[in-house]
Amino acid sequence: MNADTAAMIWLALGAYLGLGLLIGLGVAAFGLARLTPGAAHMPWRVRLLILPGLAALWPVVLLRLAGVRAPEDRT
Amino acid sequence: MAASFSLVGWNRFKRSYDFALILGVALFFAAHLAAGFLGAPAGQAPSELQVVIRASGAAAFSLLTFILCIGPMARLTPRALPLLYNRRHLGVTCFLIALVHAALVLLWYHGFSQVNAFISLLTSNPRYGSFGGFPFESLGLAALLILFVMAATSHDFWNAVLGPRLWKALHMGVYAAYGLLVAHVMLGAAQGETGLAQAALAGGSALLVAGLHIAAGRREAARDAAETEPADGWLNAGLAADIADGRAVIVVPPEGERIAVFRDGAKVYAVANACRHQGGPLGEGRILDGCIVCPWHGFQYRPEDGCSPPPFTEKIQTYRTRITGGRVFVEAAPQPPGTAIAPSLIEEAG
Ligand code: HEM
Ligand code: FES
Repeated sequence: MNADTAAMIWLALGAYLGLGLLIGLGVAAFGLARLTPGAAHMPWRVRLLILPGLAALWPVVLLRLAGVRAPEDRT
Repeated sequence: MAASFSLVGWNRFKRSYDFALILGVALFFAAHLAAGFLGAPAGQAPSELQVVIRASGAAAFSLLTFILCIGPMARLTPRALPLLYNRRHLGVTCFLIALVHAALVLLWYHGFSQVNAFISLLTSNPRYGSFGGFPFESLGLAALLILFVMAATSHDFWNAVLGPRLWKALHMGVYAAYGLLVAHVMLGAAQGETGLAQAALAGGSALLVAGLHIAAGRREAARDAAETEPADGWLNAGLAADIADGRAVIVVPPEGERIAVFRDGAKVYAVANACRHQGGPLGEGRILDGCIVCPWHGFQYRPEDGCSPPPFTEKIQTYRTRITGGRVFVEAAPQPPGTAIAPSLIEEAG
């Protein structure tokens, strides 16, 4: 692997997680109740706790916000 | 018994679990640091940072080995069951220790070069096409990313958002991470970077994890095949007297979900075996204060109707039971979740 490829990998990872962090902050502030009713009144402590996950899995989170969900998973 | 007993009991247990975890990690580090400094041949003492790098790598790897052994151990002996509960704290701790390991490696082995440390991590060994010479640090990095995703999604919130299936699939990634790590340590040793003893230990650990999983799988298959032949849609759950008080036996119908047949004093109930939370085996839990408590994370269900006590709203399927000649039979077809069913009563013999 040369330095350019390595730089590309880190850049892609950073961009993905950075974008995820922004989206995650938005979701943690405004989107939790829509994701799962139980999370509507989550304290900020817990919101911070799930923020890394929001940054890592933001594509799935956006899909869920758009209402995409496997039929066998009840809400 | 006080209504809050089980709650306090589980919480106190949880606290001592975390305490034991921290104590264990601290002792492991202390022993490793001592061995690292005192055990080195004179004149070849490694730097402090290097010893900490090795100790943290070994601690994270050993913790992961332990985590992977808990599941099959709990299936082989109920005595290992308490370890299952709160297992997620072990996983998060493992990730944090591994993160320290990786950060120190970045600092110590790559931080002093002209090249950016992150670039150097991926390029300092360019033999990606080789097997024995493959850059073992990249394998560690891949494993660390997997551990990160799992630690980040260990909160219950994620189970609800992702759904139990996706969550489970995601967390199966732990086996991929473990494989990568065994390769990380072994290749590292082959390339003269990590210790040979460490590599032998990693190989042994992998064999132990695999062996336990195979043994538990065999035991389960044997149990599934055992005498539960259906007669008129009712399944034989064995002698009522053989069910320990407050515990269950698990019945496997020819098709459909497993059934947990519980005994609470003289009363016998049957409910679905899978917990609504993450599918934990309710039949391996027990009844505390009149509620079935899931062995994995403590969700509760009333045995008489499969409902979680208020304010919770989870419901599992229930099954009709009857006792004939001291033998418990359970109907193979479930009732809708939350259906109340009168218990069968065990008659006192003599
Ligand atoms: C970015 C991620 C990682 C990098 C760059 C990395 C790098 C290294 C390096 C350079 C060594 C040799 C250290 C030495 O002998 O001085 C090492 C050893 C080791 N690493 Fe990692 N590692 C990473 C992730 C992990 C993870 C996630 C684990 C376990 C959960 C782990 C477990 C170990 C173990 C057990 C050793 C052997 C320690 C010994 O020889 O005593 N590593 N790693
Ligand atoms: S699986 Fe988590 S409580 Fe049952």
